[in-house]
Amino acid sequence: MFRLLLPALVPSWNFFDVIAPSPRVEYALMDSASQAPADWREFRPRPQRVSLATMAQRLLWNPGWNESLFLVSCAERLINQPTEHSRDELFKRIAADLAGGAEAATDPWLCFRLVFVSLERDEIAREVLFQSVPRRLGEIAVR
Amino acid sequence: MTLTLALRLTEILLALALIQQGLEHVVRFRDELRLFLARTGLCVLVVLGVGSPWPLVGLALLSLLILQRFQGPYNGGSDRMGLLALWCLMLARLMPTPALQEVFFGYLGAQLILSYVMSGGVKVINPDWRSGRALAHVFRFSAYPVSEDLRAWAKRPRVLLAMSWAVMLFELAFPLTLLSRESLIVGLVIAATFHLANACLFGLNRFFWTWLATYPALLWLQARLLG
Repeated sequence: MFRLLLPALVPSWNFFDVIAPSPRVEYALMDSASQAPADWREFRPRPQRVSLATMAQRLLWNPGWNESLFLVSCAERLINQPTEHSRDELFKRIAADLAGGAEAATDPWLCFRLVFVSLERDEIAREVLFQSVPRRLGEIAVR
Repeated sequence: MTLTLALRLTEILLALALIQQGLEHVVRFRDELRLFLARTGLCVLVVLGVGSPWPLVGLALLSLLILQRFQGPYNGGSDRMGLLALWCLMLARLMPTPALQEVFFGYLGAQLILSYVMSGGVKVINPDWRSGRALAHVFRFSAYPVSEDLRAWAKRPRVLLAMSWAVMLFELAFPLTLLSRESLIVGLVIAATFHLANACLFGLNRFFWTWLATYPALLWLQARLLG
């Protein structure tokens, strides 16, 4: 536990020192665990526009965005130091959004992948660095 | 500003920032609800000044469970600053003499200065930051811009070059604001505006409130060293 605390007590403060490839989480729903995922969807795509009023309101209430930033950390950890924790968090939060969505998920299996976006010769490049093994939606705790 | 007043102001502002963060968690998952309701309760005690220093001790212990729950800080740098402030306040409150209290509280003030200077230092040695390319990359493909429209800023290289140098020069020059109380207040207003811009453009609202909470520590430190 103190291993986790130490970087806070002796911080490095190297914010944005290097702009590394940036992860996007994509998910797919399937009929069965053996089916190859095809219909990949971006998890929480950002809106086209955010008004000044919304920006001001998010100063005080911004749970969705902060959770998305946590998932960015989980995605980076999953590549750099893979743990079951990061995988579980991603599954849990995608499944929770699907459970709370207006459209019920009809296919029972969920998998996700991490697409890292970077710039190569001034063009946006996308590389899939991780794809999860499918999990049954009903077995993911979403509360 | 006296040590007593600065300690009290910092702990109230930090407790309010932690309440704001905690409420964002209680609507989602049961395990988070338990942790953050407990934290919010302790923060209310801190704001009310009840049972000092034990609510701070409770918050520090709870911070270990929260770190364990998320296997690290939930929101990177902002949570790290919150943890640093919390542990410095708790240790300062537990110290038996004012001199020892000053050591721990002064450490928080010193880290606040370093948070700007080091951030400026790591940027200025990077050619991508000096050319404005790094900030263009932040807007073009990083996970931070809150909307797709903001990505268009990547196509304004001159604006981004000016913004990059403004940020780097301000961060590197921040220690100069300590020369007088007035210059420090001006510096902190500019710094708070910078955090506000980051909150609006990149959704980093926790940075804004957490850094603001630590400003009394620096106002006290400046007066203690140069006042």
